Amino acid sequence: MTDIVVPGDLIGASEEYLAGEGTYEERGKIFSAITGTVETNKKDRTVRVLPVMKTPPVLKTGDIVVGRVVDLKNAVVLVDIARIKGQENREIANADQGAIHISNVKDSYVAKLDTEFDQQDIIKAKVIDEKSLRLSTVEKDLGVIKALCSRCRTPLVRKQNKLECPSCERIETRKISDDYGKGII
Amino acid sequence: MEFMKNGKRIDDRLPNELRPIKFEVGALERADGSCYVEHGGNKVIAAVYGPRAVHPRHLQEANRAIIRYRYNMASFSVEERKRPGPDRRSVEISKVSREAIDPVIIKEFYPRSTIDIFVEILQADAGTRSAGINAASVALADAGVPMRGLISSCAVGKVDETVVLDLVKEEDNYGQADMPIAMDVRTGEVTLLQMDGHLTLDEFEQALELGKIGCASIAEMQREALIQKYRGEENE
Repeated sequence: MTDIVVPGDLIGASEEYLAGEGTYEERGKIFSAITGTVETNKKDRTVRVLPVMKTPPVLKTGDIVVGRVVDLKNAVVLVDIARIKGQENREIANADQGAIHISNVKDSYVAKLDTEFDQQDIIKAKVIDEKSLRLSTVEKDLGVIKALCSRCRTPLVRKQNKLECPSCERIETRKISDDYGKGII
Repeated sequence: MEFMKNGKRIDDRLPNELRPIKFEVGALERADGSCYVEHGGNKVIAAVYGPRAVHPRHLQEANRAIIRYRYNMASFSVEERKRPGPDRRSVEISKVSREAIDPVIIKEFYPRSTIDIFVEILQADAGTRSAGINAASVALADAGVPMRGLISSCAVGKVDETVVLDLVKEEDNYGQADMPIAMDVRTGEVTLLQMDGHLTLDEFEQALELGKIGCASIAEMQREALIQKYRGEENE
């Protein structure tokens, strides 16, 4: 069993190690900034604290996220990112708007974005650039996971590769995720 | 009212003795971090949410997180029903408590976000702001918020011409002085110091020293509570 440090515990000197994740430096000494276990890397001489509790979720490249479409422009869809897959119980620390470019919607050619998304659609996407928050829905399980009928606001039901409104029988097209309507992320 | 008898106080404590204190880390399921504290007759719960997006947006800072602190007393926390909601006293305590905790949080890690701290007083018996700060500090650590240290707080005061540590309600209400202190014990930085009543300069210095000793004992308990919680989880 390794020893647990709490914020403010002395874990080394600046001459000894480089201050890594979960630590901070003050007057030539390295202290822990979080509760966790100390890990030293002899190779690059860094010391870091591995958290023992859940830390605030931060968006990283490769994360699967869920969000809501808030705007459709000519070549981009703007999405309010709500949660990261695997950390659904906690709000994102650096939450912001993400953008899906028309070229990152699906594998085949997209002529117009309004055949793929609509306002208020709930979508699942992958972060392809954590700095500018660019998203992609190219993969099969990515895309719209819930949509409302644009005429009567009833939740649409999947019919093969189209979406149908159960109350007014309107047919709409989307970049549909494999998980459409299943309620799973 | 007579407070000191044979060197003992009304609840049989010595002048430099704290009341029994219990910390429970992660008491709430849905908060990002939480802590329940029993400090003598005080029962306090602290919940931390965030870092998360700031609403309203104009409050956000481009280079750091903002801290919001709400101290609230339950209507049933005192003998006579308290009218619910913020009042002059709780708004002031929220402000000074936020300023007591704020210096140790490493806010630069989470720009454009907010860290919300909610402290609910379920039962009050003097020293609720101190108990609240102690709970909030542990709750922040439980939420994984990066901090330079833990803030510990306790009150000192004067009854029957004697400087005493950690007053109970009777000593607070009918005593001669009450002085809550909050500090980062490692650096010795005092982040909250208020005083109600009268102390001579000598008494003040004596009280401050006693308060620092009290804070140091509480810091050790906070540390122990955090380690105990996660050591337990590691073994499971």
